[in-house]
Amino acid sequence: MSDGGREFESSQGRKKSRNSEFVQAIARIAVAQVCEGMGFQGFQQSALGTLSDVAVRYIREIGKVLNSTANLAGRTECNVFDVIHGLEELGASESLAESGAVREIDQYINMAEEIPFVCTIPCFPVIKDWKVKPSFVQVGETPPGEHIPAWLRAFPDPKTYNLVQDADVGMDKVELVKDHRKKGRSLSDMQRQLDCKGYDAPMVKSKRVADINPFLAVPLRFGEKEVSPIILPTKLLDENVVQNPTARASHVVDDVTNHVSALETFAPAIEAIKSRERKKVHVNSRSTVQFKFGIGKKFLGIQNEGVAKTTSWFGSDSTRDERKRRAEKILKESMENPKELVQL
Amino acid sequence: MNQGQQSKQGNRHDDDDDDAALSEFLASLMDYTPTIPDELVEHYLAKSGFQCPDVRLVRLVAVATQKFIGEVATNALQHCKARQAAVVKDKRDKQQKDKRLILAMEDLSKALREPVLAARVTAPEYYYLAKNLTCYSYTVE
Repeated sequence: MSDGGREFESSQGRKKSRNSEFVQAIARIAVAQVCEGMGFQGFQQSALGTLSDVAVRYIREIGKVLNSTANLAGRTECNVFDVIHGLEELGASESLAESGAVREIDQYINMAEEIPFVCTIPCFPVIKDWKVKPSFVQVGETPPGEHIPAWLRAFPDPKTYNLVQDADVGMDKVELVKDHRKKGRSLSDMQRQLDCKGYDAPMVKSKRVADINPFLAVPLRFGEKEVSPIILPTKLLDENVVQNPTARASHVVDDVTNHVSALETFAPAIEAIKSRERKKVHVNSRSTVQFKFGIGKKFLGIQNEGVAKTTSWFGSDSTRDERKRRAEKILKESMENPKELVQL
Repeated sequence: MNQGQQSKQGNRHDDDDDDAALSEFLASLMDYTPTIPDELVEHYLAKSGFQCPDVRLVRLVAVATQKFIGEVATNALQHCKARQAAVVKDKRDKQQKDKRLILAMEDLSKALREPVLAARVTAPEYYYLAKNLTCYSYTVE
């Protein structure tokens, strides 16, 4: 039970850090823009992080002061006088108290250049609709014990906590679930199953999150530019899909392997022909060994998962295209005439 | 009694002036779009317990924060330029490289240590910002 508890806490902690990542990223961008307006051209990551922390704490400090001022006056909502008083208390004005925080801010507004924030931010935090779960009375059930009052929420469906094979879950995850069912259920297993339903492994998820969310993306280096993605023609995409029927959707991300899929299909065909086997090489019975021919693993500056496939085309030579076409041609010929020896 | 009434009237005039100035100021606030987005400021103010439907107050806090960060950045920039000028005197070869102004930790810590600003961060403790940042009000007499 203690293990399950710890796992649950860690998943909660992960959720919180995921939520605050977004806010912190926005704060960093805003502070970076302010500093850029002042004249800085580059930032140390640690320095930027520290300054954005300072800004956040300043805002929170103002908020605390405002709240206490309003509460002391017997109100829950703040008004403009609370704000002015709070700013003065925090020393927003360095000159004599007479000139006042308001005047200083007024001067600042008039003098300073207006730099709007770079991106449009959605209204956050997004408030989901609260689903009211019914009580025992509303459902019409009698609670399973005398000690449980009927006005409490009804117990969830047994299917949600019994480890049952789910259609959504992938192949190896189903096997994992089967193993656990044999060994016996525990809280940690339930958590893991819930994780399978809702979440991927944290590494993959964080990578995906970084891919999808532009605020959490790695900043471009000085002089770099974002390049727009190239859309592959559908013909090539279909070929890849046909040749990899067993590959899961997540494997599409490992795009390097898809581009050598023609050679991959080709290799067993060569072996079959060399060993004088008459059988056709079935696509389904291919080995999963991947051949990599000098293709770079990392693709800089590309954040979109769905376009990851196209990036290797972007960086590849034209000779590889010819090689692939040749390979396909030879494979077709070999399929038609399996007895003939094909010289490479 | 008359003097009291006159003084009261005088006060009322002042109040009217103040009110007018304040409403003018708030109107000018809506024209200016602060760099720090409203949603971010609203989020952190809400975390501290601030509750107000008026956008202008949120903007006022955003502008105040921007001013504060701007001051820190300006001080850090001055430190950075001073450091570069000192370096350039010694090694004139590196003039090309050092033209870029980069916000570095040492400049930032010096800028934050100056007592001009409300926030004080001491040098070895800025790595533990969460524990050690304190805000003082600073009055000049």
